[in-house]
Amino acid sequence: MGLLNGYRVLDLTDERGLLAGRMLADLGADVVQAEPLGGSRARHAAPLGKRDGQPYSYLWATFAANKRGIAVDLAGEQGRHVLRQLASRADFFIESLGPGVAAAAGLGWTELGEINPALVYATITAFGHDGPKAGYADSDLVVWAAGGPLEPNRDGDRPPLRISVPQAFLNAAADAAGGMLLAHHARARDGRGQLVDVAAQACLSLNTLGRVLADPVGDEHPEWAALISPTARTDQSGSGTGTSSHLKKWRCKDGLVEFHLAIGQAAGPFTNNFFRWMHAEGVGGDSLLRWDWRILPELVDRGEFTEADMQEVRAATAAFLGAKTKSEILQAAISYKLLCIGVSDTADLAHSPQLAGRDFYVTLGSGRRAQTMPGRWATVSIPGFELRRPAPELGEHTDEVLTDWLGYDGPARRSLRERRAVA
Amino acid sequence: MSTPPLSGLKVADFSWVVAGPVVGRALADFGATVVRIESGTRIETARLMQPFYQGRTGRENSALYGTCNAGKYGLALNLKTEEGRAVARDLAGWADVVAESYAPGQMASWGLDYASIREVNPSVVMLSTSLMGQTGPSARLAGYGNIGASVSGYQDLVGWPDQLPIGPFGPYTDYVGPRFSLVVLLAALDHRRRTGEGCHIDLAQSEIGVFLLSPQLADYFDQGTVAQRRGNRDEQFAPHGVYQCLAEHGRDRFVAIAVCDDAQWQALAGQLQRPDLAADQGLAGAAGRLARAEELDVAVAAWTATQRAQDVEARLQAQGVPAHLAVTSADWARDPQLAHRGYLRRLPHERFGAAFVEGPRYLLSETPGQVTRPAPALGQDNEQVLRGLLGYDQARYDRVAASGALA
Repeated sequence: MGLLNGYRVLDLTDERGLLAGRMLADLGADVVQAEPLGGSRARHAAPLGKRDGQPYSYLWATFAANKRGIAVDLAGEQGRHVLRQLASRADFFIESLGPGVAAAAGLGWTELGEINPALVYATITAFGHDGPKAGYADSDLVVWAAGGPLEPNRDGDRPPLRISVPQAFLNAAADAAGGMLLAHHARARDGRGQLVDVAAQACLSLNTLGRVLADPVGDEHPEWAALISPTARTDQSGSGTGTSSHLKKWRCKDGLVEFHLAIGQAAGPFTNNFFRWMHAEGVGGDSLLRWDWRILPELVDRGEFTEADMQEVRAATAAFLGAKTKSEILQAAISYKLLCIGVSDTADLAHSPQLAGRDFYVTLGSGRRAQTMPGRWATVSIPGFELRRPAPELGEHTDEVLTDWLGYDGPARRSLRERRAVA
Repeated sequence: MSTPPLSGLKVADFSWVVAGPVVGRALADFGATVVRIESGTRIETARLMQPFYQGRTGRENSALYGTCNAGKYGLALNLKTEEGRAVARDLAGWADVVAESYAPGQMASWGLDYASIREVNPSVVMLSTSLMGQTGPSARLAGYGNIGASVSGYQDLVGWPDQLPIGPFGPYTDYVGPRFSLVVLLAALDHRRRTGEGCHIDLAQSEIGVFLLSPQLADYFDQGTVAQRRGNRDEQFAPHGVYQCLAEHGRDRFVAIAVCDDAQWQALAGQLQRPDLAADQGLAGAAGRLARAEELDVAVAAWTATQRAQDVEARLQAQGVPAHLAVTSADWARDPQLAHRGYLRRLPHERFGAAFVEGPRYLLSETPGQVTRPAPALGQDNEQVLRGLLGYDQARYDRVAASGALA
């Protein structure tokens, strides 16, 4: 049993929206992923491997997991008719086909809302369905640039950096799932469905920690770097963007460590804790304990903490961390309350004792279709999640879904297949 | 206008900073009555974070706090006092939803864990959102989102291949965690509506970060591939990058360009006025372009360097090539598309004249989100919450206030 048991979701998304349906499926909804007869283009999305000699998309394998699959002729009127029939029995509909595409296929909100006024219809686009940039050519990187989180993320003088694993549309898809359930609560009151319009560009404002609001509220020089390096405040050069984020990264025995020499009343105590740890391990004597990082900005202003002091602190820290392993640092972080942690790569994540302890990973499918992946993304005190099946093969559940949702019998299904409306 | 979907829903929001408060903010936008409970003495971190109105630090000036808490009532409460904890228990009894983001174990130390709350409020839905989750060997790991970005893999995945990684901008798991928190919370509320049964949700922000790397984890489990940072390059497409343009007002400016198919490449090559590249058969397909990504980046960068970023965007978009300037806050505030969607919300504000907050990220056609008021000043609604919502009489309110608990 899942929290959303009993609800039906018709999912026409590609790689830009698969995640939304996966989230609802994990919570127990019956999610049917509809693909064109040639297969979803998400089946070709990176990262790619090979299975049975065929290209195998790990993006499809994970974000289409837990759904049933049906192959439909999206280009033909008979296939579209099948989709409209399915939509008439669905509680939710999601698409990410691009502005106007679903409507042109007779699958827009206007059409489907007439067939099924209780339908919650979600659409995920890059910029929106209308407005001056609705027709923009898009990609994950371009949306990331347009939404705000790209520009401030620079490494020295080089251009700003995105996350190497595309994230823009994943954030938007998760928002679509949230918007759909808000609309669902409205429907629970009045029985009416509605359109849920999600544009990835707008979603990404949340990924800037409020920085996009700096100009409207008149904060002309938000010195973000000062949060990273206290002595950046003494650098009067202005932008602060020149301060390297490398200052937060340190080498340890088996990789990298993330550690801010954080300052101020909120985060300074954690830095004090760090030097207590060093002290307890007999490193640096008492000298490193002489600064209170809670009030470091004042010490800097009074000239009691200089760039030379900073160099000394950093050198001692680098030497100390260089002799530690990620695992030792994790233990210290827990016992001393440190804001200091090893930088995990995907191998570390796969072998994390914490994630194993919480049964985070799951293997769906068996034999040649077995796939291990992240599973339950929250823990609920009652049965809440259902992880049932691997990502569907093309048309794997076509018969099953036509029977369950539409009550079609064998001859009706055969006729659709013969006419190439479904596969 | 229809009734907001969550009107009547009562939320006691004990969470702080970003990952928790953003959830309560969404509930408030859609009609819930949300009481944000904060310490009046140990000021919550978001109040101390940039950006600040007029650039002035101060606990009432943070636009980040403002956008995470708009629409909520503000109660200052000292949970270190018995009177304060008594008020908190009353709020937990009043609420349909209790949300919190303290270190695991903290709520229990105040007698506000799920088991205790459930005794007085059997059908409560409680959301505990934390960095690592409530259980497991690292549950007690302290930290803000930059730690979350490390333990969920993101610090390693942003940077140039020849340099140390720099990580994403800010606490990445604080951005993705609340999106999932909202979904599971709304699903739990629907389950309660259907069955009367409440529950406790334990959401680890770091797990949401890892979940969004599901394809990379599956790839690792299958074939041992460890995901790598690659600057702004893409695994499948080239050219694909962020390129420097003409500086404006002394500020470096950049444009993002992503060529995702062969037609886009031809269109870009035409703009570059490099007929040699356009005619080069080796570059006609994605594989050929990927193999020569370095050379293409140099060619594109040479072209963008002499132009304004917004002009590059306009030129390439006119040809159907994905491109957008890397927006600053000033660009964002003037972006015509965001304005078309009404995303930036302006609210009357007692001290600033106008407060600016981000809007709901989902436009609902029939029951749109409404931001009814700016975030509360610290303790702004103490009396309204205790008398109006909890029904304390004047004498009781005075007693609590006199005890020093409302600070």
